[in-house]
Amino acid sequence: MLQFAKFVLTRAVMALITLVIVSLVVFSLMELVPGDCAERYLAFKNTQGSSIQIANELAAERVRLGLDRPFLTRWVSWIGGAFQGDFGDSCILRVNIAQLLGSKFYISLGLCLASLALAYAIAIPVGIIAAASSNAFLNNGLRLFSYLGLAMPNFLLALMIMLIGTVYFGETLTGLFSNEYRDAPWSWDKFVDLLKHAWLPIFILGWSATAFALQTVRALMSDEIGKLYVTAAAARGVSGGKLLWRYPARHALGPIVNSLGFDLNRIFNELPIVALILTLTEAGALLIEALARSNDQQLAGAIIFLLTASIVTLNFFTDVLLAVLDPRVRKSIIR
Amino acid sequence: MSDLITVQNLTLQFRTDEGLITAVEDVSFRVRKGEVMGLVGESGSGKSVTAKALMHLNAKNAVYTPESKIILHTDEGDLDVLSLRKAADMKVVRGGAISMIFQEPMASFAPAISIGKQMVEQLMLHSDMTKKQARSHSIEMLDRVGISDPHKRVDQFAFELSGGMRQRAMIAMALSTNPKLLIADEPTTALDVTIQAQVIDLMHDLVKEFDMGIIFITHDLGVVAQTCDYVSVMYLGRLIEKGPVREVIRDPRHPYTQGLIDALPKLDELDKPLTPIPGDIPSPLERPKGCVFNTRCSKIVGDVCMNDLPRDVQVDPVHRVACHIYNEEGQA
Repeated sequence: MLQFAKFVLTRAVMALITLVIVSLVVFSLMELVPGDCAERYLAFKNTQGSSIQIANELAAERVRLGLDRPFLTRWVSWIGGAFQGDFGDSCILRVNIAQLLGSKFYISLGLCLASLALAYAIAIPVGIIAAASSNAFLNNGLRLFSYLGLAMPNFLLALMIMLIGTVYFGETLTGLFSNEYRDAPWSWDKFVDLLKHAWLPIFILGWSATAFALQTVRALMSDEIGKLYVTAAAARGVSGGKLLWRYPARHALGPIVNSLGFDLNRIFNELPIVALILTLTEAGALLIEALARSNDQQLAGAIIFLLTASIVTLNFFTDVLLAVLDPRVRKSIIR
Repeated sequence: MSDLITVQNLTLQFRTDEGLITAVEDVSFRVRKGEVMGLVGESGSGKSVTAKALMHLNAKNAVYTPESKIILHTDEGDLDVLSLRKAADMKVVRGGAISMIFQEPMASFAPAISIGKQMVEQLMLHSDMTKKQARSHSIEMLDRVGISDPHKRVDQFAFELSGGMRQRAMIAMALSTNPKLLIADEPTTALDVTIQAQVIDLMHDLVKEFDMGIIFITHDLGVVAQTCDYVSVMYLGRLIEKGPVREVIRDPRHPYTQGLIDALPKLDELDKPLTPIPGDIPSPLERPKGCVFNTRCSKIVGDVCMNDLPRDVQVDPVHRVACHIYNEEGQA
């Protein structure tokens, strides 16, 4: 038990170190974008009609914003804030980023995690049973579903569902909140309202993720079922559900757990397109806005950092889960 | 000595995309209490498939002919193994009356379940022991096969033990339910020679102690000579020669058995070149007509080898061979 706590602690420290390295990369990328905040502010002031003396003002502005400090100092102060959820101001929108993001990032993340949960809740049992079964109907049906899920683009599925919803049910099915809740403070009713709208993006994002996860689970499971230890267990008289779930299924779970972090990233990448079509202004779309339209490096940096932090955190949990599931992992690190 | 298991006219085919493939053809033998029978042959000779058939362990596409009979003689009467249909009913045989140990001890333990848990699970399936009793019995069995620190080992995993230790643990697990018959499928092939000898000695002692029968599958005639009382030689799914081990090894009658013995390296004649049997074992898809060995045999007696299956003839009181060289009376 003590050893296990030590393992968890080691992993947590490693996750933190990863985050610090990631923050350095993100911060360096932000710096690579041509122009800095001082120039942006002055450019903005210019459009407001105030006359300025470029060179002097620029230097003064840089001092004001702390941009004259060395790179490392600025990085340290940036991550200092980042770990507390403060990402400074966006110098294009001239508002505090934490305020701008509000709960948007967490809603997006929630949508992705819910899709991921949906995908695996379906894929794990169905994939395991499909691999164990020799039923041609079941297997071909699943294959068809998988190909459909993998081949059909998310936006097409979203458009189809919206079309059907509008034509047959008179529902628009867009957005994440009803009008009366959009700007209201968080409350139980607002949360229920969110759930009423969120099923659609969760379903659409989960659709292809399920197809993908199903293929993974089935392949891993087929691999395990053929192994000698399964035959050996059968030779000892283990049979039925016990032979399936305790032996190959349990051993196939490890690699499945491993693929969770990767899948979260994939779903997050798909979110902006779906968000665009379903006009979910609350989610993903902000990233596209930040990156593509306005070149807002502070906002983009904050979003990328938050996303990486989520993936690192998820990987930390999957690592711990993997150690619980597989003694080989547990004992290889604890010595 | 009383019979433990009788195999009669066992013919086993696998249904595949290329059609029915014959893996075992018309094999008959029996194993008695306290007896070690060696099942010898090259890869593809059908020896493992035969052994698995005794526990109904072959893949779902296996087809047994109606004449095939595998009769297990238990205290409660005879049991026709092949008549069992449901996996739950096969428990009587699998791990109950018969235990099996495999070539790869590492791969035959589930990697993420401790050795103790797997042993306890088996014991609870086959007896009315409580978990606690099963655990202490498992520790006792581990101790019995010479594993040091059994209290600690019982909670360890297969990857934490050495090769020889794993096979000992496998033997402990196989014998814990007190089976009547132990099938050992090349149990020492994956081990170092020195460990091999230890494991063979251990098995020998335990068989005597537990008074059971063993089927020892191997391609190593040296191991057979040391371990077995009787030997059956298989080639391409057919049993071609069987008899007491010393007799078969000193005076092999079938050209294939003779070839196997000649192919062994001899420590006292190191300068002599090895004499392998020419050619390869044919694919089961291209089973030769007539005698199955006719594609590689150096003692063909005529067309009869190409066209007719050789009869199983008695060459000595308990020594039988299936070869056209011998007439009905067993004379060459």
